[in-house]
Amino acid sequence: MQGAIDETVAERLWDGQVPLRISVHPADAAALGVHSKSLSLYLSVHRFSYLTLIATDVRRFFADADGGNARLGEVDDADIWFECKGEPLKWHYPVGLLADMTTAANAAIPIAPLPWHVTVRFLNFPADKLLRGHSESMLSMTSDAFMSMIKEADFMRNGNIKKVMGLSKQDQTQLWESFAAHRFRDFWNVNAQLVAGGSEGVNGGGSYPRFVPMRVYVAGCAVVQEPVSPVDGESDHEYTLGEILSNILPRYYSSIPGGQVSRRSPNGTGEVTTFPAAVPILHGIEVPPDTPLVWLSRNCSYPDNFLHVVLRF
Amino acid sequence: MQSGDANFDVPHHGKFLVTVNPTSMSAAEQGPATSPLASPSVPRRPSSAATSNAEPNAKVVVRFRATGNAPILKQNFYKITASQKFQTVISFLKKELHYKQQQSLFLYVNAAFAPAPDEIVGNLHKCFATDGNLIINYSTTAAWG
Repeated sequence: MQGAIDETVAERLWDGQVPLRISVHPADAAALGVHSKSLSLYLSVHRFSYLTLIATDVRRFFADADGGNARLGEVDDADIWFECKGEPLKWHYPVGLLADMTTAANAAIPIAPLPWHVTVRFLNFPADKLLRGHSESMLSMTSDAFMSMIKEADFMRNGNIKKVMGLSKQDQTQLWESFAAHRFRDFWNVNAQLVAGGSEGVNGGGSYPRFVPMRVYVAGCAVVQEPVSPVDGESDHEYTLGEILSNILPRYYSSIPGGQVSRRSPNGTGEVTTFPAAVPILHGIEVPPDTPLVWLSRNCSYPDNFLHVVLRF
Repeated sequence: MQSGDANFDVPHHGKFLVTVNPTSMSAAEQGPATSPLASPSVPRRPSSAATSNAEPNAKVVVRFRATGNAPILKQNFYKITASQKFQTVISFLKKELHYKQQQSLFLYVNAAFAPAPDEIVGNLHKCFATDGNLIINYSTTAAWG
């Protein structure tokens, strides 16, 4: 089973989209003299994409729709940002992850209301919360961040980045360019060289990565990234997502079906309360907890080579 | 003055990073490493694993290495609160080198990749430290990645 990529799965995830309803923030609309305040842009965006890749088009749409609003037309791309329910959205996170994080925070609504409503902002860039770009460099910043993630993932899998650095210059360029142009085949021709197989001499035969590149997101908490081995070296048992989550986040996750977890209640009294165990969400989907982590990593990672798992309560 | 590799002591009189009381590390709290994390199949598990963030004020050791013509530090390793973001490391290093915050300085982990400024130092330490030290190379020009 090792090394093979299930292209059916990879391609379906690649084509996954999330419908967005984008409107201009009322304060920015007032400040920039936007007349059509109730106007929204409906856009279907690939879950793997980044907000910086749509920012220019969004600004142009509202400038044109507002009768060629010159002030909107002159807004620098580096000043464009997005927010949802008052929270700035990180442009270096994939759109699908942002959507999962936003919807996971709302326990009352088990299924995300679509379209996902976000607000575009053209003023008052929150430099304390979002990475500030430089004028006209947002695309190269996004590709740099993307390549850094791929190298970080490579280091987790192999303990070095020889696989990425071993790619030809053309293949390295192709990773980002085929991603940005949404060319599945071209992207996977290169990406398979990174994702398939493991590191040499590790785990007897090199089938398994050293650690799985994965981050877990829990609302209100710091991002969790642990050196997680995908296999028990003695029994060759492949750890499941549920086993890993209950191990690294026992306060939030239990691998027992219908299980409960105990932790201090957030109201500061220090009282220990039981909560229903969280549900792992990836690409908008509830992931079966018995899915082997190594399979998930190979087939269901984002193009940045990381699994970005959101815990929903 | 470079410290030798054999010297793992962190100077107590040195300039340590500012400690800000962390507020959001509860997700990273965990008990002692158990089976999936302590797999014997992992040949060189970072010894930093012991410094898991059971304590919200836990600190980790960061070791700086200058690359190319980057200026060197008088002291090249420091303790930093694990819950800090990598941005704190960037700002601190610029301050130590008397750089303006707007001046560009490139920081890499293990001479391999540039973490995003919002990555958690404790996570980087857990996943990438060598002998308990998170190695950070810095350069005045883009060196790796």
